[in-house]
Amino acid sequence: MTKWRLLDTGLLGATENIAYNQALLDAVREGQAGNTLRFLRFRPSALIGYHQSPRQELNLAYCEEHGIEVQRRITGGGAIYFDETQLGWELYTTKQAMGGADMGRLAERICNAAAEGIRKLGVEAYFRPRNDIEVGGRKISGTGGIMDGDAILYQGTLLLDFDVERMFRVLRIPAEKISDKNLKAARDRVVTLRELLGELPPLEEVKVAIAESFAEHFGMDLAPAPLNDWERARHREVVEEFSSPDWIHLNERPREEAPVLQGFHKGKGGLIRVSLWVDSARDHLKQIWITGDFFVTPKRAVLDLEAALKDTPLDQVPERIRAFFADSGAQWMMLGPDDFIQAIDSAVAAREAAV
Amino acid sequence: MSGTDCNGCEFRDDLLYDDEYQIWVAVESEDVLRIGMTDLSQTIAGRILHVRVRRPGTVRPKGKPVATLESGKWAGPVPNVFDCEIIEGNHAVLEDPSLLNKDPYEHWIARVKPLESLDAIRARLVSGEAARKGYCERAVREDIHCKRL
Repeated sequence: MTKWRLLDTGLLGATENIAYNQALLDAVREGQAGNTLRFLRFRPSALIGYHQSPRQELNLAYCEEHGIEVQRRITGGGAIYFDETQLGWELYTTKQAMGGADMGRLAERICNAAAEGIRKLGVEAYFRPRNDIEVGGRKISGTGGIMDGDAILYQGTLLLDFDVERMFRVLRIPAEKISDKNLKAARDRVVTLRELLGELPPLEEVKVAIAESFAEHFGMDLAPAPLNDWERARHREVVEEFSSPDWIHLNERPREEAPVLQGFHKGKGGLIRVSLWVDSARDHLKQIWITGDFFVTPKRAVLDLEAALKDTPLDQVPERIRAFFADSGAQWMMLGPDDFIQAIDSAVAAREAAV
Repeated sequence: MSGTDCNGCEFRDDLLYDDEYQIWVAVESEDVLRIGMTDLSQTIAGRILHVRVRRPGTVRPKGKPVATLESGKWAGPVPNVFDCEIIEGNHAVLEDPSLLNKDPYEHWIARVKPLESLDAIRARLVSGEAARKGYCERAVREDIHCKRL
């Protein structure tokens, strides 16, 4: 058993919360604090990943109009909308304490522990590479981490309840317009504890389930303890730094560099529609939605295929699709990898024709 | 000269290293150093999706990263072990970060101007046989088995 601090910083704004990420990670790196499991919640916030551009990822005018705080995370990954209806969990520790340098395996172990915690609440949550936790193919939690020397922070979200329409207005996703059809597509891709359980579980119960699972998986001897003076002082400094527009707009890129492209392919198995959100400057697929009138059992295979294609260089997309089909075990009625590859090619060709 | 005897991790004996073997430093001239990541570091990071180098002209004190990286699950700094000013980031790497996974020693991340004497920097870094030994020890101690894309 290893001693871990259980820290709950409650409901805070985005700058305060993200500044704690930096302050607590620094404390571990500098030997000013030990291992910590933290729970946190956010007032309405739009959080971009460390390397992302706010203009490219968010609808900034909507955020401003609705008092949604925009902040840059210190961890990687995609932009998220975070509000009071979600719970954040975070582990602050060292590579050494977590048993070595294989960071891919460590992220997987952490995600598996978080998923098991969610299962304690009575829903079938599982880790899905690279960094989601899903229920029936629909995302219920996103995760990501940062390492700095031996110190690491790994964090995740959990959707207790969720306003999909608001997310749609805050974030750019692989759809151009807000329509009933696109809203349904967005709803089909996420799921909440409220929807799965029929009611919102008490927040404390959720925290206990997750904390217990982490404690079991990592041999944690958890005890509640407050922030120390070093962390408070560091937090004040970081809040100042992160309140600056220089930090939030650290990495600005034109919105036009990340267009949404539509394509389709009609094959023997039916019509496949794809909506691609690409990073044109780097020829990189950010996210994809696949819809249409074709048949596959189980249906979630389509959502898993979308997850497998997230953040893929465009030239590697065909190879990933073929690998996915080879491993998936799903029944695709009269459909093969080439049907999906052709649908994607048609979307990319439309971009090239427009240039 | 290079070797792949340390758990399959390549070592180059014509470079300088920090004492954790996270980065390598190549001396271009008295005023220009190139910084890159080691085979150990690229393996730990996994497939790299983003690299960001601080703006040219930015002064980076020792301890502040010269660049940051992101792989599928993790972000992390490319640490800096001496005071320097950024001259430029490597455009090829910024455009295609996976080059660092393919050949970490052939692709530098940033060119920097040292703000300390080269002698002081050399004294802080490790090189030659001592570096090879330390590099291998870390690979073994942390059980790192290098993989290239």
